[in-house]
Amino acid sequence: MPSKDMIGRVLSTGSATVSAEHVAAFARALGDENPLYLDPAAARRGPFGTIVAPPTYPIAFMVEALSGGASAFSELGLNFMTLIHGEQEFEYERPIRAGETLTLTGRISDVYEKHGSSGTMDFVVLETEATDAEGKRVFFSRNTLISRRL
Amino acid sequence: MSAPLRAATVAVGQELPPLVKGPVTKDHLKAYAAASGDPNPMHTDEDFARNAGYKGVFAHGMLSMGWLGQFLVQAGGPGAIRRFRTRFVKLTWPGETITCRGRVTAVRDEGGVRVADCEIWTENEEGERKLVGTAVLALS
Repeated sequence: MPSKDMIGRVLSTGSATVSAEHVAAFARALGDENPLYLDPAAARRGPFGTIVAPPTYPIAFMVEALSGGASAFSELGLNFMTLIHGEQEFEYERPIRAGETLTLTGRISDVYEKHGSSGTMDFVVLETEATDAEGKRVFFSRNTLISRRL
Repeated sequence: MSAPLRAATVAVGQELPPLVKGPVTKDHLKAYAAASGDPNPMHTDEDFARNAGYKGVFAHGMLSMGWLGQFLVQAGGPGAIRRFRTRFVKLTWPGETITCRGRVTAVRDEGGVRVADCEIWTENEEGERKLVGTAVLALS
């Protein structure tokens, strides 16, 4: 089971370059045909001068950039058969641009449990911060995972 | 008809223009799994989902949150979202048509910019709310 000792621990770090192709594939999977995500020429004429990513793209980018995260993730002690995504929160300083390299740091910000009629539920809160080449924050993600203890 | 939010005219109680998505298909779920890098078979493998005690595969919570992201960009313009939070309250199933909805709960200034606090949610045809959350939109 997750332990309170893990609070504050860095879970994983990594960096990756935002690919226009990945952004477009992600937008299409949402059925979101906004030309700012898909069309380089239209995006160049738009408010950001280049392809930008849809608001929830960080969730896919984190999978790419935090490649070492899978093994760290298994150390959380959550029960994967009953794992659910309870809450998700994003904060944005500016849109993510295609072609830029972002550095991510993911840490465990909280661990707690709740007891109910279906047993004990374990909660783990993961916080991930992305910074750009200048070290400025681009986005922040807070992800609450819940699993039922067997 | 509700129009996109503008700094000059935004008002508490104003509705954000709804966005209808779906009906959800299993192909949508496969496409989202591939594009998002989510390997959880709960959303793509019927047998796995049934063995886990569900009636079948269901949509990724983050697929619905992605639709809410599209809905917020439609309401506030690209780059408007400052904060965006959802709770995953009910599962979304193949066959359902989902509508993203929201309304303005407060209007204030944040760092010299007019912002709108919004409550947002997704709902199916019966009005059952699936994702519920809040967003802060910076308006121009």
